[in-house]
Amino acid sequence: MRLQINRDVLSEAVSFAVKLLPQRTTLPILSGVVLDAAEGKLRISSFDYEVSSSTSIPADIEDAGSVLVSGRLLADISSRLPADEVNLTTDENGRLLVQSGSAKFELFTMPLDEYPSLPERPEWQGSVSAETFATAVGQVSVAASRDDVTPVITGVQIELTSGQLTFLATDRYRVALRSIPWEGQIPADTTALVPVRTLSEVAKTFAHADQIQIAVTKDDDHEMIAFGTPDRLVTSLLIKGNYPPVRRLFPETVANYAVVSTSELIESVRRVSLVLDRESPLRFTFNLDGVTLEAIGNEQAQAQETVEAFLTGEEVVISMKPQFLIDGLSSTQNEFSKLSFTKTDNPHKPGPVLITGQTSKNGEEPGDYRYLLQPNLLLR
Amino acid sequence: MVVQLTIARCSVDYAGRLQAHLDPGIRLIMVKADGSVLVHADGGSYKPLNWMSAPCSLTIDHDPDPELREAGVQEVWRVQHAKTADLLIISVYEVLGRHEYEFGTDPGLVKDGVEAHLQELLAAHIDTLGDGYTLVRREYPTPVGPVDILARDSQGAHVAVELKRRGGIDGVEQLTRYLELLNRDPLLAPVAGVFAAQEIKPQARTLAEDRGIRCLILDYDTLRGLSDENRLF
Repeated sequence: MRLQINRDVLSEAVSFAVKLLPQRTTLPILSGVVLDAAEGKLRISSFDYEVSSSTSIPADIEDAGSVLVSGRLLADISSRLPADEVNLTTDENGRLLVQSGSAKFELFTMPLDEYPSLPERPEWQGSVSAETFATAVGQVSVAASRDDVTPVITGVQIELTSGQLTFLATDRYRVALRSIPWEGQIPADTTALVPVRTLSEVAKTFAHADQIQIAVTKDDDHEMIAFGTPDRLVTSLLIKGNYPPVRRLFPETVANYAVVSTSELIESVRRVSLVLDRESPLRFTFNLDGVTLEAIGNEQAQAQETVEAFLTGEEVVISMKPQFLIDGLSSTQNEFSKLSFTKTDNPHKPGPVLITGQTSKNGEEPGDYRYLLQPNLLLR
Repeated sequence: MVVQLTIARCSVDYAGRLQAHLDPGIRLIMVKADGSVLVHADGGSYKPLNWMSAPCSLTIDHDPDPELREAGVQEVWRVQHAKTADLLIISVYEVLGRHEYEFGTDPGLVKDGVEAHLQELLAAHIDTLGDGYTLVRREYPTPVGPVDILARDSQGAHVAVELKRRGGIDGVEQLTRYLELLNRDPLLAPVAGVFAAQEIKPQARTLAEDRGIRCLILDYDTLRGLSDENRLF
């Protein structure tokens, strides 16, 4: 193998492959990345039996060939090479020579014939705007659980129907939901539960592309989702198990609500919660004067602030965790946010708060993003 | 080995590495079996007002100096530390109550109480392992010691569960030994392994999964039926 390639292009491709590799693997060979040079392209791929990635980048190929080298080492090296131009060559001892400017590296290679073969590019079921996809994943993934106790909720649930993709995530304290249109025709509605880390990396990296192709394949023992652009392919096994039926938690219509300026309320929450202990909730009083935020419960300091809020219905007093509220507000990505206060049959537990975006004070709700948050119990 | 409790109106003086004096008042004087003496007021939580740790010796003088007797002192307790010059002097004006109890040998603080409780809870909620699981028995014996739980999955295949509060590499090794022996029994084999803990260290998880052992994180509060009120569901 002998080729020339641009440093930044190489570095970006290798670091993406490495990001999807597991932190610790018991099979050293899986910590490698495969370089395949052929027909003006260098393909860089990784696979750990759960997640696979492959990226094709343009290169000047003199001799075609394939080689398997340590992914993390190649990622570190390629991000720090001195010159724009990089030469990759294999020598007769099977080593990979990386040369850029006056810097030279020799990397030991691993036997390629022991490396598992990657899943193939499936038949695509449809495509979605990469930018919209990235936005939706970002809005929803904040609510996914980071706790291993319940593995099913550490993923983002994607519901695929003809024409619409819906993303759902929850950590039991809140649920985030976003629907986006897609050019997809599938025979039967299906769902895919994708690890949040993989999905977030895909969304971030693929955001530069125009369209993302998607396919979900389910065999007897093998459930997989694939994301592709002309140059990239990522596949991931799905998380097994039944996703909790969180959609039914969303209320239909709510008569009691308040509309606030999103950025103003976020700023105020950040300010007032400075005096709060970690994990402590903030107290909110919504009335005709606006919303008053009170940080109480800390013995050394207290804080209070009132910001504008347009209340419809009766006065509401609730307490919410500052970060949970900020996550919801900032994900509405609208100038105004609407907080709807639901009723509950249980007198000891407040009803969940639904957060949605609004383009203006009295404007229409885009309605494709919903964030449902369970307030904390009010403690006097 | 007796514990002696005395409630008395007394004043206390401490001499030695620090000087302290407590004016007369009603206090609880506790003399523990190891010889230590603690003076408690009716506040201050677990902390005595004054104390002398073991080893020390207590002498009670029932016939105090005339000067003290005139002031109303009936008894003088002198607690002398065996290794230092520290001295605790309790001047008792009036004894209001006195009790003595034989405590016997203390079983000690049980640190793995949670682990035993987890085993009991998981056996009671065996479907935490998965739908259709049934319990065979707790403490299933193997030649190298009992495995915490033996169960059957929905297909009837055996599953051995090792429980830990904090799951480390040693727990995985322990389960591996049990599995090896259980799998030699043709009536049980194949036996799958589940490593269940409230918290599993990353190395332990990697090792377990490499050996085909499933890792399961247990939520003690949920198993106990304590739910977090601030959850949506």
